[in-house]
Parts: sequence; C-alpha cells; structure tokens
Amino acid sequence: MKHSEVEILDAKTREKLCFLDKVEPQATIAEIKNLFTKTHPQWYPARQSLRLDPKGKSLKDEDILQKLPVGTTATLYFRDLGAQISWVTVFLTEYAGPLFIYLLFYFRVPFIYGHKYDFTSSRHTVVHLACICHSFHYIKRLLETLFVHRFSHGTMPLRNIFKNCTYYWGFAAWMAYYINHPLYTPPTYGAQQVKLALAIFVICQLGNFSIHMALRDLRPAGSKTRKIPYPTKNPFTWLFLLVSCPNYTYEVGSWIGFAIMTQCVPVALFSLVGFTQMTIWAKGKHRSYLKEFRDYPPLRMPIIPFLL
Amino acid sequence: MAAAAATAATKGNGGGGARAGAGEASGSRKKKSPGPLATAYLVIYNVVMTAGWLVIAVGLVRAYLAKGSYHSLYYSIEKPLKFFQTGALLEILHCAIGIVPSSVVLTSFQVMSRVFLIWAVTHSVKEVQSEDSVLLFVIAWTITEIIRYSFYTFSLLNHLPYLIKWARYTLFIVLYPMGVSGELLTIYAALPFVRQSGLYSISLPNKYNFSFDYYAFLILIMISYIPIFPQLYFHMIHQRRKVLSHAEEHKKFE
Repeated sequence: MKHSEVEILDAKTREKLCFLDKVEPQATIAEIKNLFTKTHPQWYPARQSLRLDPKGKSLKDEDILQKLPVGTTATLYFRDLGAQISWVTVFLTEYAGPLFIYLLFYFRVPFIYGHKYDFTSSRHTVVHLACICHSFHYIKRLLETLFVHRFSHGTMPLRNIFKNCTYYWGFAAWMAYYINHPLYTPPTYGAQQVKLALAIFVICQLGNFSIHMALRDLRPAGSKTRKIPYPTKNPFTWLFLLVSCPNYTYEVGSWIGFAIMTQCVPVALFSLVGFTQMTIWAKGKHRSYLKEFRDYPPLRMPIIPFLL
Repeated sequence: MAAAAATAATKGNGGGGARAGAGEASGSRKKKSPGPLATAYLVIYNVVMTAGWLVIAVGLVRAYLAKGSYHSLYYSIEKPLKFFQTGALLEILHCAIGIVPSSVVLTSFQVMSRVFLIWAVTHSVKEVQSEDSVLLFVIAWTITEIIRYSFYTFSLLNHLPYLIKWARYTLFIVLYPMGVSGELLTIYAALPFVRQSGLYSISLPNKYNFSFDYYAFLILIMISYIPIFPQLYFHMIHQRRKVLSHAEEHKKFE
C-alpha cells in the first residue's frame, strides 16, 4: 500500500515543524494530531489547529487524509489555539459557583450583612421560593452538563473560564445580596405577582429542559452530526416551529419570571445581559442552519417568534 | 483618561476607511474610503468640531485677559464646552454605520468618559466648577481636540501637513498626563459634596431592591485610571514611533 507523507508547517512563520513519513492514507486528522504531539508534546491535540491553507478553516478531526485535496505529500499548516480546557469543566465550574454563592447569602453567612443578621432567616415567603428556584436552576444546569448535553467541541480556550466565572459568579452574588437582604421589599402586587412569575419560571424551565432533550436525541452518542431540529410530541418543543433556538427563548423567559418574582433590578439587568448574549448566539446558530440546510423552515426566527 | 483615550482610540474620523464592500474580493485587506457623500459630511463634521474647540480656546484666552486671573474660567466656556464635547457622541454613530474605520466599543468608551466628566461630575457637582483642576483638563482637551479634528479634516482631504501629524503624535506626551491629572483632581474634589448630598445614590429599602452609591462608584472610576491610562499612553507612544519614523521619509513631499 502506498503510504502518504505529511509535513506540518507553522502557519505564521512557515517554519517546518514536523515531517511524518509512512502515514496511512486513511488516517484521520485526529490521528495526525496525535503523531504531531509526539514530536511536540507541549501542543496536545486539543490545542492544534491544522489547515490546508495558512489562513483557511481548521480541518476537522474526522477528516480523512486521502479525501483531502492533497498529493502523496500533504502540507498542513499549524496554529496554536492556546491552552485549552474542556467544556464540561468550564460548565461545571461556572454553574457550581452561583449555586454555592447564592446559598451563602441566603443563609446570611457572617460578614455579608450586619452582625445582628448572621444566620437569620427572611420572614418573606418569596425569598425562600427564590432560593429554591435559583438553586433548582443551577442544579438542573449541572445535571444537564453531566448527563444530557452532547458537545460539538471538547475544549475551549483556557481564558474563557475566568471570563465566564466572573460573569456568572459576579451576577449571582449581586442578585443574591439584594434578594436575601434584611431590608428586602417583597413584590408590589404580593402573592398574585409571585404566583404568576413562578408559573412563568416553571413553564420555561420545563420548556428549556424539553428542548435540551430534543437536541440530545437529534445526535447519537459520540457523534458530531448536525440535523435540523423539529417539534416532537412534547408540546414544549412546538416552539421549534417559530424559533431556531427555543432553549434560549425559554431561558430568557425563566429569568424574566425570576425578575418579576423577586422584583429586583439586578435580576432584570442579568436577564437583559443574558438576553443580549443569547440573541447573538441564536443569530449565529440561525445563520449556520440557513447556510447548511437548503430546506430550512422559512418561518423560523432566531430567538423571539416573528421578531428577532 | 478621557484625554488619553481621545487620541489613542480612533484611527480617524474618516481619512481612509478599511471596510471591504459587499462586492469586493475578500481575503485581501482593501482600504476602501467612505463614499463621496460620507466624506463630505465627515469633512464638515470635523471642520465644525475644529471650529468649536477653537471657540473654546479663544473664550478661555479672552476670559483670562478680562479677569486678570486663571481661576474660575470654566463659567466663560461652559456652554460651548458642553455643546461640542457632547456633540462628539456622533462619532460613535460614525463607527457604527461604518464611515469611520474605528472600533465602536473603543470610541464609545472614549466619548462616554468625556461626557461623564462634563455632565456627571462637573455639571452635577456645582462646587467643583471653580476648581483649578477643571481648567487643567479643559486646556488639555481643547488643545488635543483642535489638533485631532484638524488632523482628520486634512486626512480626509488627502493634504495632511506634517506639522499637524507631528503635533498629534507628540503633544500628547504632555497633554495626556495633564488631562488625566485635571480629571482625577476634579473627581476627587467632587467626592465630599457627593457624600454629603447623596447625589445619584439610592439606598435600601426600596421597591426595586437595588442600591447604588455614587461616591463609591466615583472612587472605582478613579482606581480604573491606574490600569487604563498607562495602556493608552504607551499605545500612543508606540503609534508615534511607527507613524513619525514612516513620515520622515515622506516629509519632503508633503
């Protein structure tokens, strides 16, 4: 069998970094990355970006050498993506923080509020309810990270964990401070407001979970396939008829519910910031769907039915 | 820092846009100027701004001569200062619609910090208006802006005198620290009055379950100068080396 040869050059300096002879033509990019790591152990496969053109797109791990437009000696260009950290690690860390931090404020751990309030409990029902909702939300996220989501990418740049944790942990502390404050003021319209908001929250949590399950079922375990999501028998998934990313729609809804329930400006601000970010993601996802699938349902908007 | 950011951030209010048009080949970085209408508008904008800051400069000089002292000159140029500095908000729009090749984020930051100092500090805390520190940053801003806006005007018309380019990339060495000092001293002077009056502050309990301490916020702003100012300053020093050494070769042909 004819073996292929692979030379790997630095994408910026064009310096020859590695020459692999006797490579199987059916070798995948993943296998080539492993071979490259042997000669340059500091560049583990997750931080390698190999491409055919120095300025081109990264090749996928599943791509097969033989199927690429190369001769028997393939020239690949390498870019260092920087230190990487797994998505699972990032998600678990960024979600465990808010869960724990909120509880510190809920139990009024010393040095947060005045000493006379240490370990006291709020006399407002809505404060206890808010703690349950907030905690439920992050426990749900942690469980979904461990058991539901199927990630396209294994890793992300290391600096993201600092950025993401600052955002989640910072906002959690800011919200929790006010909701659990001894001078907290319950919602203006009382129990009615709380009940309505709680209903919105619960419905959106169920909706969000339903979408996550539907997306999981689209993709077989261990694969990275992408398909158009469609509504299933679960009524919560019928939002797919109108929106590309109903998981984000439900997520925004949950936080709006939480904001109405607690009547707390920092929660509203957190919802707004989250909405802005999710809209950017939803528009990107929507665009990728349109590019990848000719028959993509035209009625769908990225995140808000008919509007956005 | 509002002074520092003004020169550092923007590549220009026109004078060579760098947006590749929809029908153009991608991949190669083509510098595309804004269309003729946009260029005309930007020239007018920059001329008006240059004139405006000249008015402020002249106003300062006349007030100084009339009063015989440099104290409390703010009152003589308060209105044009507010008008023309606030007008700079348009520059954010210019970046957003793409007729100026600068970053919207950077430009917003720069203009908002100026507008903040004018309205949320100097205008809002009347007691600081007679402080000398106000004159310090007003002078720094005035000289910087006259040079900056004339730089853009000439660049747009493709006739940039070396003197203006030199001035823009040299005077900042003194004007930045001067402006920053004026700004910091002014904010510092405002602190006791903010504390006393509870300006822009809201405390618990209230039905929005929110609190804001403007005094603490101002202190945070002052602290933020520490990491931000050196970055902007050294960025300009770096730019100076690049621009002026390059310009040396072309000086004869200007």
